[in-house]
Amino acid sequence: MTLLGLAARNVLRNKVRATLTVLGVAISVLTFVLLRTVVGAWTAAADFAVKDRVVTRHKVTFVMTLPRRYVDDVRNAPHIRAATWANWFGGKDPKHESEFFATLAGDSKTFFTVYDDMKVDKETLERFQQDPQGAIVGDVLAKKMGWKAGDKVLLASSIYAKEGDWEFRIAGTYTATQKSVDRSTFVFHWTYLNDGVSIPGLKDQVGWIVSRVDDPSQAATIGVTLDKLFDDKEVQTLSQDERSFNSSFLASVSAILTAFDIISVVILAIMALLLGNTIAMGVRERTTEYGVLKAIGFRNGHIVLFIVGESTFVGLLGGLVGVLASYPIVERGLGRFLEENMGAFFPFFRINPLAALFAFVLALMLGATAAAIPALTASRLRPIEALRRVA
Amino acid sequence: MTAAETKAETKAESKAEAAEVLISVRGVVKTYERGGETLRVLDGLDLDVKKGAFEALMGPSGSGKSTLLNLIAGLDRPTAGTITVGGKRIDELGESALAKWRGDTIGFVFQSFNLLPVLTALENVTLPLLLTRVAAKEREARATTALRIVGLEDRLHHYPRQLSGGQEQRVAIARAIVNDPALIVADEPTGDLDRKSAEDVLSLLERLNKQLGKTIVMVTHDPAAAERASIVRRLDKGQLQ
Repeated sequence: MTLLGLAARNVLRNKVRATLTVLGVAISVLTFVLLRTVVGAWTAAADFAVKDRVVTRHKVTFVMTLPRRYVDDVRNAPHIRAATWANWFGGKDPKHESEFFATLAGDSKTFFTVYDDMKVDKETLERFQQDPQGAIVGDVLAKKMGWKAGDKVLLASSIYAKEGDWEFRIAGTYTATQKSVDRSTFVFHWTYLNDGVSIPGLKDQVGWIVSRVDDPSQAATIGVTLDKLFDDKEVQTLSQDERSFNSSFLASVSAILTAFDIISVVILAIMALLLGNTIAMGVRERTTEYGVLKAIGFRNGHIVLFIVGESTFVGLLGGLVGVLASYPIVERGLGRFLEENMGAFFPFFRINPLAALFAFVLALMLGATAAAIPALTASRLRPIEALRRVA
Repeated sequence: MTAAETKAETKAESKAEAAEVLISVRGVVKTYERGGETLRVLDGLDLDVKKGAFEALMGPSGSGKSTLLNLIAGLDRPTAGTITVGGKRIDELGESALAKWRGDTIGFVFQSFNLLPVLTALENVTLPLLLTRVAAKEREARATTALRIVGLEDRLHHYPRQLSGGQEQRVAIARAIVNDPALIVADEPTGDLDRKSAEDVLSLLERLNKQLGKTIVMVTHDPAAAERASIVRRLDKGQLQ
């Protein structure tokens, strides 16, 4: 038997209380890991952005469009290797109104060259390019909707409304080479959209232009150069490297992300209070025993070690249970569900091992600090006071 | 005989006499504050306890006997006066030094046994040895020996809840002697026991005193328990009678 062994045995003394406390800590750790995973998934698109991609959009807002001819100007600019464009279609399957997935009208010749992290095999691409109503969809979306090559799909658009639905034929699927790529996007021909648009203001308009530059380290400077091209034109642009572009989307949800950060801290504080309260109860009940220990020669430091050791052990168990429980919940349940159903927001909803490790270490540290006050109080009691005290 | 020889002889005699005294209490006063009132529990008390003695302290409730025992054991500090145990002024020791001194010098036997319920009999007895540099195997051997002395070698791995009151108190006595302390202090050691168990515990204390030469100071209300002691002292209103 050792001093720390004695501390561990004290934890298991009241099994119901110990179990509830460990579960409380575990749930706090699990919630913390989940919140960090949400924040991580939300920022994944920015974190995993392709470094040599520059996005050009309307200077005022992403919602406003650019003239199609700007694409040629961009292509002719220095340091641009390739450029493509796309429009947000806002499509929905009328039979499955509640299913959300991104629908993009892109240039069939260049879209998958510039977005080469969306991997399409040669045959599928050829089939897509040859069929004006062809569409390529993410493998996750295809699986979810039960679509396969050759299937006819009808979509309705809230932006590009027309009589009847837009009709497409599935050419095949793409997979992803990067974690940040949404595998639930629906991509079809921009020309099909442009030809079918009945509102004159939407004709020959593109949502954004995406370029690949020859020097990723100069992406920001190249963006500025691109914008200068359009300074004197009727529509001014804002060009950003892909990371900044993706981050600008996050700015709109920054309040939510901040709230998540605050909630994470609140959860940790609750965990510390929960532990502190349990330890304080245990210490109060065992004051006489600490008196006995002091009587037979144990010093204040030993008493602190017992109590802090006990609390740290609870933190250790709770942290382990919380982290171990978070993996199946996220990796096999929640993460898979979110990736399939909300892939546009959470293309990669998986636990960052560093966040899990951080949560575990925090549980240990909070376990140690939560016991500080009861430990100091108990250690400072004179043995005679401790022996006389009745819990 | 010259004056110098006489002086040297007298000094040697008083040294020999002093060596026999294990506990020396001089002019000890202990007061408590209760509800704004000062209670004088011990009032300038003097006491000598010789090495190897088995003394019982008796007296009515509130007479100060437990307070005196706690002061002798270094669990509490006197308001005034000096307490010397084994030649060491314990009233002058700091908290940490006093704790170490208790661990090295005193064996405690409490009325309500005060064993740790999460530990077996053997582990409870081993507890004081955790503070020493004794190796784990040796700790276990010593604790087993202590439990054998108190007749509980067949209860080594029993938890306190699996023992009778008398057996628990014998484990507590084993814990008190495992460090081979100079002094055993017992506060109402038979207070929570039936007559038979009380007799067993008192016989054990007697044996420790006579066979192992342990000095024992015991507080008791029970005249039958006090009869086992070689000296019975009575306290009343903070003074020895």
